[in-house]
Amino acid sequence: MHYFRLIKNKFFTSIPVFLLYFFSFYDFEIPEVGKINFFAFNFQMILIYFYVLKFPENLGFGNIFLAGIINDTVLGTPLGTTSLSYLTLSLFTTYIKNATLRSVLTAEWFTFVPALFLSNLVFLVIINNFSNFSFYYVELLQNTFFTFLFFPVFYYVFIYYQRLISKD
Amino acid sequence: MADHRDDFIIAIRYALLKKGAKQKFSLFFLILLSISIITLDKFSLSFMSPTRAVLNDFVYHVSVISSQPTRLRRNLVSKTKEHYNVKRENIFLKKEMEYLKSQKFNNAFLKSENEILKKALEMSEDKGFGQNFSISAKVMLDQQSPYLKSLLLNKGTNSDITKGMTVFSKDYLMGTIIETNFLSSRVLLLTDLNSKIPVIIEDSNANAILEGTGKKNRLSLNYLPVNYKIEAEKIIFTSGKDGFLTAGIPVAKTYLNKKNTISIKLLGDPDQALIVNITKGQIKN
Repeated sequence: MHYFRLIKNKFFTSIPVFLLYFFSFYDFEIPEVGKINFFAFNFQMILIYFYVLKFPENLGFGNIFLAGIINDTVLGTPLGTTSLSYLTLSLFTTYIKNATLRSVLTAEWFTFVPALFLSNLVFLVIINNFSNFSFYYVELLQNTFFTFLFFPVFYYVFIYYQRLISKD
Repeated sequence: MADHRDDFIIAIRYALLKKGAKQKFSLFFLILLSISIITLDKFSLSFMSPTRAVLNDFVYHVSVISSQPTRLRRNLVSKTKEHYNVKRENIFLKKEMEYLKSQKFNNAFLKSENEILKKALEMSEDKGFGQNFSISAKVMLDQQSPYLKSLLLNKGTNSDITKGMTVFSKDYLMGTIIETNFLSSRVLLLTDLNSKIPVIIEDSNANAILEGTGKKNRLSLNYLPVNYKIEAEKIIFTSGKDGFLTAGIPVAKTYLNKKNTISIKLLGDPDQALIVNITKGQIKN
């Protein structure tokens, strides 16, 4: 019974890692609405930001790094680019976590903006200097905007989930 | 100012180097590793190509597996759409089938109408109706009101139809024209109460007046000779005594009804009349 509970706990606490790998392996697609894909957003970034900020014990940096490598392989970007981008996000998030005393959604939501900015900046700098890829900056901007916009939704979803598994 | 900068550096250093309770690697180490990988990948060192190839193969295969839910979703969506398309198509086909059925019935109707017209034409030629029996008309409306038993025809004064003309359906007398309009006319049927024609009964010299009663199976014969006993299955012809209709046109026949009494019914059926022939009154024999 004890082992069963341990396994169950391990399974539920590993869900964020599983989600991170899943969405790294698989190029997440949401049907387009009209000409612009309004709902295209970077789920991994929300996940990393939230878990590094709130529950860092559930999402290790090693996993974030590996997920980035996998994402690079899937996307075909230079190896390590996404990893560095994710790790920059993690670094900024850890800094926010250490710098802030009280956890408030609005504050965390707005600090997500510089976090996203830094992360995307790193990504763009590497892409522009280490590869011949050209980017649709508008799409990237849209993606970043919707990533920012959807953060509160997932914030509450993840909080709810964490409460559920902590009850067990 | 210097304190504030120191705090920032301390926080960054803390974030970079502290591994935390369950962190196996520090951020600093992983960032360095990432930069190393990027550099190695950029300069395409000899061992990088096979490493990347193995990694690609592995990741692509896993990626294919992880994309199965999406495929399933797409498949489900496409199947659902297909189902609704089939449903919509089925409704459309049903409607089309109904339409074609109605067209088929319409064709059948036209065919039978054509046959009737052909027969009417043949009759006109065979019976010598050419001169007087020249107008064929279509029954527009079967007016079976309690007041008047009549038919409305689709031809009127524009086709030289005048009041008093007689109307035949197939070989049988139907009635007379009582009303003419430019494009239509009304036929007073023999079954109407107001219809009265002189007739003669088969195998006898008995003259009488055939009057309508409103029902095609219950005509009445008036002015029969005294003590004349009418028999069943006798044909009643026009006598021609009015000087208008040619003698010998079959109009009605006697029959034995369910009450074992003799009744008179029309030979022609006004309800079934679709195409009628109109004459000025006499059939050219």
